[in-house]
Amino acid sequence: MSLSLDYASLDHSKWRNLPPPLGFASLSSSKTPSKSAAAATESYEALKEKRAWDFAIAPAKSLPMQGFMLYMSGGGVQIFSMGIVAMLLLTPFKNLAAINPAFAQFAPGSTTSSKASSLTTLALPKLVYLACNVATLALGLWKCRAMGLLPTGTGDWLAFESRGPAPEMSLF
Amino acid sequence: MRWLASIILSSLWATSVFALHEAEAGVVDWHKALIGVPQVDSISTAPTFEMRPGRPPTEGLLLTATGSNVLAALHAGNGSVAWRYIYEPADNIVYYQRHQEVVTSLSGPGGATLRTFDFTTGHLLSEKRLHHPQTGLLLEPNDLGVSIASTPDTPDLFILTSAHILRRVDRSGKTKWTWTSPDQTSLVVYTKLIATDSTIYVVGLAKSFSSYTLHIAAVSTTTGELLSSAHIPSSIGGGSSDIITLAAQTDQSLPPRVAWLEGGSIHSIPLVPQLNEKPASSKGATYEKIIDVGLHKKGYFVALQSDGSSRVFRQDVEKSGLKVTWEFADSAKSDRNTESFYIGGVDKDDRPYVGRVFWSLSLMKGSAHVYAPKLADGKGLVSGFTFSFDTNTHGIISHAALHPAYVKDLDVLPYLALTTSTGAVQMWQGDRLQWSREEGLTRIQVAEMVELPEPQSTASHTGEESFVERLARQLQDTRDFPQYLVHFVKRFTTGSYASASSRAAPIDPDASTPLSRDPFGFRKVIVATTDLGKVYGIDSSNGEILWSRVFGLGWAAQIGGQVIPVKLFVTRTVPDGGEPQVVVVTQRRAENSLVDTVLFHIDALTGEDAMGASLPGDVLQGHDIISGPLISAHLLPGDHKTVVLLDEFRQVYLYPNDPSNVKAFTKAVPKLNVPLRTGTAGQRQLTGHQFALGAGIENRAQAYSTWAASFAPSEEILSIVPRPDGPVASLGKVIGSRATLYKYLNPHMFAVLTSAPKACNIYVVDGAKGSIIYHALLPAAHGTCDIHATFVENWLVYVYWDEEYQGVGQAKGRRVVSVELYEGNAPDEKIKSSELSSYSNKSLEVTAYAKSFVLSHGITAITATSTKYGITSKDIIVANDNGQIQSFPRTMLNPRRPKNKPTTEEQEEWLFQYDPIIPDDTRRVLSHNYQASLCPLIGFVHALSSPLQVANVKQIVTSPALLESTSLVFAYGLDLFFTRVAPSSTFDVLSENFNKVQLVFTIVGLAVAIMFTKPMVRKKRLRERWYQ
Repeated sequence: MSLSLDYASLDHSKWRNLPPPLGFASLSSSKTPSKSAAAATESYEALKEKRAWDFAIAPAKSLPMQGFMLYMSGGGVQIFSMGIVAMLLLTPFKNLAAINPAFAQFAPGSTTSSKASSLTTLALPKLVYLACNVATLALGLWKCRAMGLLPTGTGDWLAFESRGPAPEMSLF
Repeated sequence: MRWLASIILSSLWATSVFALHEAEAGVVDWHKALIGVPQVDSISTAPTFEMRPGRPPTEGLLLTATGSNVLAALHAGNGSVAWRYIYEPADNIVYYQRHQEVVTSLSGPGGATLRTFDFTTGHLLSEKRLHHPQTGLLLEPNDLGVSIASTPDTPDLFILTSAHILRRVDRSGKTKWTWTSPDQTSLVVYTKLIATDSTIYVVGLAKSFSSYTLHIAAVSTTTGELLSSAHIPSSIGGGSSDIITLAAQTDQSLPPRVAWLEGGSIHSIPLVPQLNEKPASSKGATYEKIIDVGLHKKGYFVALQSDGSSRVFRQDVEKSGLKVTWEFADSAKSDRNTESFYIGGVDKDDRPYVGRVFWSLSLMKGSAHVYAPKLADGKGLVSGFTFSFDTNTHGIISHAALHPAYVKDLDVLPYLALTTSTGAVQMWQGDRLQWSREEGLTRIQVAEMVELPEPQSTASHTGEESFVERLARQLQDTRDFPQYLVHFVKRFTTGSYASASSRAAPIDPDASTPLSRDPFGFRKVIVATTDLGKVYGIDSSNGEILWSRVFGLGWAAQIGGQVIPVKLFVTRTVPDGGEPQVVVVTQRRAENSLVDTVLFHIDALTGEDAMGASLPGDVLQGHDIISGPLISAHLLPGDHKTVVLLDEFRQVYLYPNDPSNVKAFTKAVPKLNVPLRTGTAGQRQLTGHQFALGAGIENRAQAYSTWAASFAPSEEILSIVPRPDGPVASLGKVIGSRATLYKYLNPHMFAVLTSAPKACNIYVVDGAKGSIIYHALLPAAHGTCDIHATFVENWLVYVYWDEEYQGVGQAKGRRVVSVELYEGNAPDEKIKSSELSSYSNKSLEVTAYAKSFVLSHGITAITATSTKYGITSKDIIVANDNGQIQSFPRTMLNPRRPKNKPTTEEQEEWLFQYDPIIPDDTRRVLSHNYQASLCPLIGFVHALSSPLQVANVKQIVTSPALLESTSLVFAYGLDLFFTRVAPSSTFDVLSENFNKVQLVFTIVGLAVAIMFTKPMVRKKRLRERWYQ
């Protein structure tokens, strides 16, 4: 026995031919001008593009906040500062990996078409988005360097250095 | 404020503090207090038995002055040190004497300093300088002209010093009167004293044309006035050893007497205050020598006759004043006996005895005769016995002290204290050995620690066997499996593991099992050789002597000689496979002044001859490799470890001389460099050498000089401090900015200490081309250079005495200078110095960082710790003149310590502000016996120290353990001391307080919990599926 309700089996022929209530204007019966429909579509496209730009510069907007958080987390290697740094380093890559699906919803025209998720669609916002993510990454790397986690000095590679035997030998 | 200071101090040193805990004292370290080899040349310093009245002989003390300048008392019962007093090196003991409860000693030139000690405890009662050491009369031998006499009824002493000053001194060291010989410019040298109640006779010798004349002065004991003096007509050839003073204090009717040897007969004269008696002489026999046996207070002495027998003389009422009471036959050296020597002793009732000790060649045993003149109703009695003295282990007997214990009439129990040529002191009771001390260990010349092999597993199988046999054997072994499993589980859950501070010695030492190491390699065998011709194998875990061998003299055995070890090389180690072996390079100086170079190749575990030339238990037979002196000896590293020896013509001798070793040497020759000290003493030069194959005689390789160091001609090379060839874990030092200071690791460099007339120098020299890498000019204190240096990796530390103070803020004091050498002129500049050719121009691009610190004590030895891989930071271990072994961490001696408050970058490097004074922190004293107590208020562990004196350390040897964190430290000199240090704490072992029980319980608890909850969880999961 199914527990779900079966509305489909209701018989509504009885109410279908009832007159509408007073003052009810049926949409289907009213005439809509085609010009206004086109304008609506256009404004919708513009809105989508605006949203795409908003999305593209969103990482840059959070940069000051993240910078403040880094400043607050201090220079020591602790779980909190490490968490933020890991987030800063990983998010750009995660974002860039999902760049096409993320921008597909703002694609002009149908959002479900294959063209919507191609790389060339919304190329300019995507470039800006890339730049912003790189900026985030740069912030993370800068923090890493400040914490001394980047192997930039010769001291970081000292353990891999080796020396061979000397060409001469001295006996004492 | 103090606790605040201690908090700051302890947090400052928290990273590197190493303090010995009470529980570890005696476990990780051991200390052997030694006294030195007794000085047996003179009767005034040789061992004597001193008994306590009314006590058995085993509670007596054996007093002696030793070659290490120690006055010591050993318990006669067990040979332990009752007390000892260590004299300064310039203040050598010349005379000691016990009188009642006081031991008096005279030391320094002419007996400059008088010291009195309590006989039982050894406490110093008084110390008085009788004259300035520089004004003392220097005579040869140095106990000449120094004497002490006493009378039974007064505690005062009569002291003769500098051969012409007589004093009466009371117990507190105060002089009552002084009598100075009026004619000290004349040639009278007073040597002996005879004290009576009223008069003290000063016996001396006056030089006449061909011999000496006896001269006697009589001085009043109460006022110090000269009563009379007289020249006795005599002609004494041999000097002061030909005079014997006799004063039978028990028999008042006998006047004291002086006996002397003159022209083969014995003359004597009785002494009266007027000095007007006539000398008498013995008739008949001819005598060669008269011997003082230490019984002059009983009136006895011994004279050797020319026919080889010897006679015991006694002071007597006869006309001649002397009477022969006994004659010993066969005293001279013959084919049956060695030459006898004579000793005297008194028993508890003050009866005299004369003993004679010799080595019987026919019996191969020691032999002793004891003559008791007062026993057997006054007729005299001689008892003889042999004792099985081990001449192959202890050399030959060089001295004996006698104490005859009177048991009953006709029965004497003699105690003999023997001193041997290898430095052993032995106590024999009749023919039974009571104890033996190896005092030769105070004469260690070279020592090395040799690693021991792993314990052998029991289930070893050797030989061929078929498959069926093997199967059967393994099935047989399987029977033990359940037992093994139970044992394993038991051990896993409850067993304790070795910790870094556990005892390294095996709990049940079994002589049958071969020597093996402990889990962490703390147990090693210390191979030490002495210049008394003996080599010892010492267990580093407890200081026991595992084996000892005497170096044979080879052809020089007939004429006598001395074997002096020069170097000790470990030619085979455990990783090389097989038993570890050492080669001792020695110089043999025969009595006929011929010098040879002799090698001894020894198995380090057993002391057996690795060449197989000598029998077990016999003396070691050496290999005469060079018939001539040696310039230098080196070890060629590599698979074929070869000892390379250079003779005085710089020709090369190899040992072992196998084809493989020769090949290895030939292959290495083009790149070999040897810096040598050449030239005569006083004009030594440092020259570098290379080898030319086949240039010498018999186609030997020969060294030719390639460079000479440009030291000033007046500079004398004091010592060469090589850099140990240990592994270097890190090639550089990462500084705060994360740049690298590359260590200057030129493998050819070594340090040279030189002394010029007005200054001392320390150089770091490149041994391949002779260029000077670092040089410092140090002030010479009083014209002498007292520099100690150690050099490890790129770090040179030297200590000197600075007495120059010119400017304001300068002070004299002991300085320790720490120098670090880095490549290039700035961080990140590298020249790869460790693989760079020495002939490269870049090899001298080096920067030295140096800082000097003030040290509170002078030091006698310095070295650095060494670990297996060189990862652990290095500590400097020093022995200071306070008798302590101290360690200084590298962080404290870092020459890059900033002078201002350290910046963040410097803090990252763990650098802290420079402070010139190194605090004398008792926690860094390794030789202390610490008692840790927890102070409840502060919560700090306070260390209460009870000082343990490690005296006169000459050298410290360090060696790596198998644990990277730990280094073994062995100090030798007068005492032996061994400990282990962990400069960076024991990071590679579980800590002592690791709770294994808790861990096991937690794991077991979790397992049980999982066991119970797993079905519950499974059930819950299933139910969830149903109701989804």
